[in-house]
Amino acid sequence: MAVRTIEVRERVMARNDALAAQVRARLAEHDIAAFNLVSSPGAGKTMLLERTLAELGEELDIAVITGDVQTQNDADRLAVHTSRLVSAVVTGGACHLDALQIMTALDAIDLDHTRLLFIENVGNLVCPANWDLGEASKVVLFSVTEGEDKPLKYPSMFQRSSQAVMTKTDLLAHVPFDIDLAMKNARHVNPDLEFFQLSGLKGDGMESWFEFLRASVRAAGSVV
Amino acid sequence: MHEMSMALEIGRIAEEKLGERSPQLVTVAVDVGDDAGVEPANLEFCLEAVFAVPPFTGARPAILRCAGDVLRVAYLEVDDGCPDD
Repeated sequence: MAVRTIEVRERVMARNDALAAQVRARLAEHDIAAFNLVSSPGAGKTMLLERTLAELGEELDIAVITGDVQTQNDADRLAVHTSRLVSAVVTGGACHLDALQIMTALDAIDLDHTRLLFIENVGNLVCPANWDLGEASKVVLFSVTEGEDKPLKYPSMFQRSSQAVMTKTDLLAHVPFDIDLAMKNARHVNPDLEFFQLSGLKGDGMESWFEFLRASVRAAGSVV
Repeated sequence: MHEMSMALEIGRIAEEKLGERSPQLVTVAVDVGDDAGVEPANLEFCLEAVFAVPPFTGARPAILRCAGDVLRVAYLEVDDGCPDD
């Protein structure tokens, strides 16, 4: 037999990245700020969004796309706090969302009346790191019930995020968690990270998060 | 594991490169950087699963370790059915 070689040299993520660029352009066309929330399971993404929707949902015309391996429980929880569509993507086993899923989900969202989009990714600190979804930035959450060394164990996710939200701070009095050490570890892998410390349950620290979101919407071209 | 998503995408790229002529695919070589965020053994396992069914049946993956965050299909080896020169 004659075996011949075909040179390819094509990036595996090239197609996803091209689709993500299309998502980004579509969002920019509508002056929409978009954030991709990533974390391990149970870090508080849905709780943060519940609080955010309740407080800013109408003010900032927030839309949400939620990703879960199974069930649309998160979308159902969030729908209680907004009259707007919460789009659920059930990945059916996949451990992350991809740009094609976001492109498809955008079709169901009224983009003309949206100024802020949250993508709640599948709870996983490894897989979603590689996938550009067309967001303005990734926001990584980690809770005080996790180890301070999470950023060192999962550096890729922290390196590819622009903001870090430390959640469940109401539990700080009950768990041996050194928040300064956690921030130091996170800065070690990404010196440019912007930090927020808050409790979605109690509401502590939410105002600086809300101000960040308002500023992001303004920067995306909308008038608040 | 995201390696399965990547294995499926590698299969799509290979199929696209082969085109409609569909020569027998022998090897799919993939450059995997140390910082690519991919576990090479997992990726190889997933590629073997993808290559177990048509149109890839009989193909084998070749993982080429390298530095950096590279993750790309390097080359394909195909048997186009023509006799050796």
